[in-house]
Amino acid sequence: MKRNEKAAASLAEVQLNREYVIHEVRTNDEELKNFLFTLGCYEGEKVTLLSVLSGNYIISVKDARYCVDKELAEAIIV
Amino acid sequence: MENLIVTLIIVVIVAAAAGKIIVEKRKGAKCIGCPHGQACSSTDCSSSDFS
Amino acid sequence: MKVALTGNPNSGKTTLFNAITGRVERVGNWPGVTIEKKEGVVKQRLHQEKNEIIVVDLPGAYSMSPFTSEESITSDFVKNEKPDVIINIVDAANLRRSLFFTTQLLELGIPVVVALNKSDLLKKKGIVLNVELLAKRLGCPVVKTIATGGSNSGLKELMAAVVGAKGRQQTAPFNGAGMQLTDQEAERAVDKKRFAFVDKIVDEVEEKKISSNGQTKQDAVDKILAHPWLGLPIFALVMWTVFSISQTHLGPFLADVFVGWIDSFYVWAEGLLAAGVSPVLRAILLDGIIGGVGAVVGFLPLIMVLFFLLALLEDCGYMTRVAVVMDRFFKRIGLSGKSIIPMIIGTGCAIPGVMAARTIKNERQRRTTVMLTPFMPCGAKLPVIALFSGVFFNHAAWVGTLMYFVGIAIIVIGALIVVRITGEKNVRSVFILELPDYKFPSIKRAAVSMFAKAKAFIIKAGTIILLCNAVVQIMQTFNWQFQVVAEGAEHTSILAGIASPFALLLIPLGFGTWQLAAAAITGFIAKENVVGTLAVVYSITNFIDVEEFALVGGATTVAEVMGLTSAAALAYLMFNLFTPPCFAAIGAMNAEMENKKWLASALLFQLSTGYVMAFITYQSGTFLTTGAPGTGFLPGLIVVAAIIGTMAYLVRKGNQKAAKKLVLTV
Repeated sequence: MKRNEKAAASLAEVQLNREYVIHEVRTNDEELKNFLFTLGCYEGEKVTLLSVLSGNYIISVKDARYCVDKELAEAIIV
Repeated sequence: MENLIVTLIIVVIVAAAAGKIIVEKRKGAKCIGCPHGQACSSTDCSSSDFS
Repeated sequence: MKVALTGNPNSGKTTLFNAITGRVERVGNWPGVTIEKKEGVVKQRLHQEKNEIIVVDLPGAYSMSPFTSEESITSDFVKNEKPDVIINIVDAANLRRSLFFTTQLLELGIPVVVALNKSDLLKKKGIVLNVELLAKRLGCPVVKTIATGGSNSGLKELMAAVVGAKGRQQTAPFNGAGMQLTDQEAERAVDKKRFAFVDKIVDEVEEKKISSNGQTKQDAVDKILAHPWLGLPIFALVMWTVFSISQTHLGPFLADVFVGWIDSFYVWAEGLLAAGVSPVLRAILLDGIIGGVGAVVGFLPLIMVLFFLLALLEDCGYMTRVAVVMDRFFKRIGLSGKSIIPMIIGTGCAIPGVMAARTIKNERQRRTTVMLTPFMPCGAKLPVIALFSGVFFNHAAWVGTLMYFVGIAIIVIGALIVVRITGEKNVRSVFILELPDYKFPSIKRAAVSMFAKAKAFIIKAGTIILLCNAVVQIMQTFNWQFQVVAEGAEHTSILAGIASPFALLLIPLGFGTWQLAAAAITGFIAKENVVGTLAVVYSITNFIDVEEFALVGGATTVAEVMGLTSAAALAYLMFNLFTPPCFAAIGAMNAEMENKKWLASALLFQLSTGYVMAFITYQSGTFLTTGAPGTGFLPGLIVVAAIIGTMAYLVRKGNQKAAKKLVLTV
């Protein structure tokens, strides 16, 4: 069964260790969006979920590793 | 006579201590005990970046 | 010649700065901002110029977007101070993100030199970089550096490139400046193109054997260290090891030797003073100055070992993992994992700890962290802990450990109270933290840091503590008519006169004597003074090895001299540990709070906490050991009840505020 790509999943729900393309950064916080942007986290960029540790999500964007909490992970739609 | 010498010694020690404090304050050190006394108000005071 | 140093956080910027300037720092002020400027002079052996080269350390930034405040410091600096050259430090393993900032810097019209740092890790990570091509594409010199030092650190080459770049015309390979920057959408579109440009360069220049987007060995280590269930116990174990080594094993071992020297010095000085010298002067010099300072300095080895271990801990990158582990728990009390870092630093000294809170974006969280960080016993409080555990509890290790746990408990409760009072119980904030690679901590750097702290400690002892002790000694020797106080009439001395009113307030806490009140008060100048002042008012000079008292007798004598029961001693210890910190730390708090109301509230909270903790400890301890409450139970109870009542009231009001806010957002 083909997965409907438009039924977007957030980074909190995807498989580990697989590269995804960011579809949207869904948040009302503009400052956050800008900050994420400067890290290379925006539509069209690749992101990987490396692991889930202690309730937080370790992600890789542009060769750098970050730890984000669940809320932020849920805002990144792939 | 010895009293005078001892008093002098005490005064010298105290004056030196006070003097050192004044000199450090003039240079801008926020706390005399901190190794980063001069730069203690810069962006990060530990040896690594955390932001 | 003036050079600006900038780059992404975690790129090794501070290390590089220290490496090229040798930490000769000067301070100034950024116009309009409270962050102070850090300047240094480049070591003469790194360059050939006659005049000195000044390096200014700009705050770490990911970009120069006009929408964030810290990063505008960079553009303001360039506009106002016109540096000759900009050194852009870039993590060699992280070009795709780092070069974004680089291309922005290249547009400023000032010659840029890229320091490709951590270049020693490239081979380990299986990355090959074509540095010449990179330099060509960027249009500026690129120098490989290893800021942590060594023979091929590249620092000389870097400075040579910097000197050579002066006066050169800097062209920008990607020019975003010309485009419209009126709104965010346009800005974002330009930045996307910028990233695309960077990607193109990196594709040409970099060859990666291992995909860095996959899991690595670092992640495997993280899985254990930041494990949801193991993470916390591991952290507790690590901290316990640090304190155990510095306070129970290596530290006291070295201290014993050290104190032996101090004692010999005291005896030698005592011998020098002939019998004819007035006893007053004798007391001032021997007990006040040498004895008082000696009592404090005896703790130097413990503090040195502690700082050494903390430096190792900070250097290896474990701290960020601790933040990850603690975030889950801290979220429940209204803070984020980032708040743990100031607190860990605070176990060394609260002032850099408070400064470290600067990285917390959320204002309330930052201020709460600032208020709570001093509750972690700092290095200066160690002598106090060691003194009391030694004299009253036979050096039992649990005393010190208990203090840290109490500190943690207070932090948790304090955070909960604050978040409720401010009505932000339901407000969410974001947690994002970059995870740097683990690295083997540099023993050399830790040693340097340790000796710097040791030197500062000795200076502090020789100045502030010395003066305080001398003053205390004098105030204790004379009464208000400037006559020498007779033996047994100490309570008529100036010191007693000043301290006694405060002592009254402390009666319900079990230590309502003027000597102890005086010691606590001097503690605000420096916490070590508590030990120093006690040494002076009780004429004791050796606190570490209390069995070897040549002067006063055995350990029990010290306890008797102070007139404290174990419960009262514990209460006194808590009082000194959990009240507002030394004035210097309060000054740091003031700088970070940026709000007088918050500062006042924080100080009141700290004062209240000390009082309440001491009261509970003393009264319940006395009750448990003797079956009856201690002195001043009722008045103390009234005060404590009033304090708790006020807090409860404020919390309730805050909860109402939070409920209202919730309604508004729905």
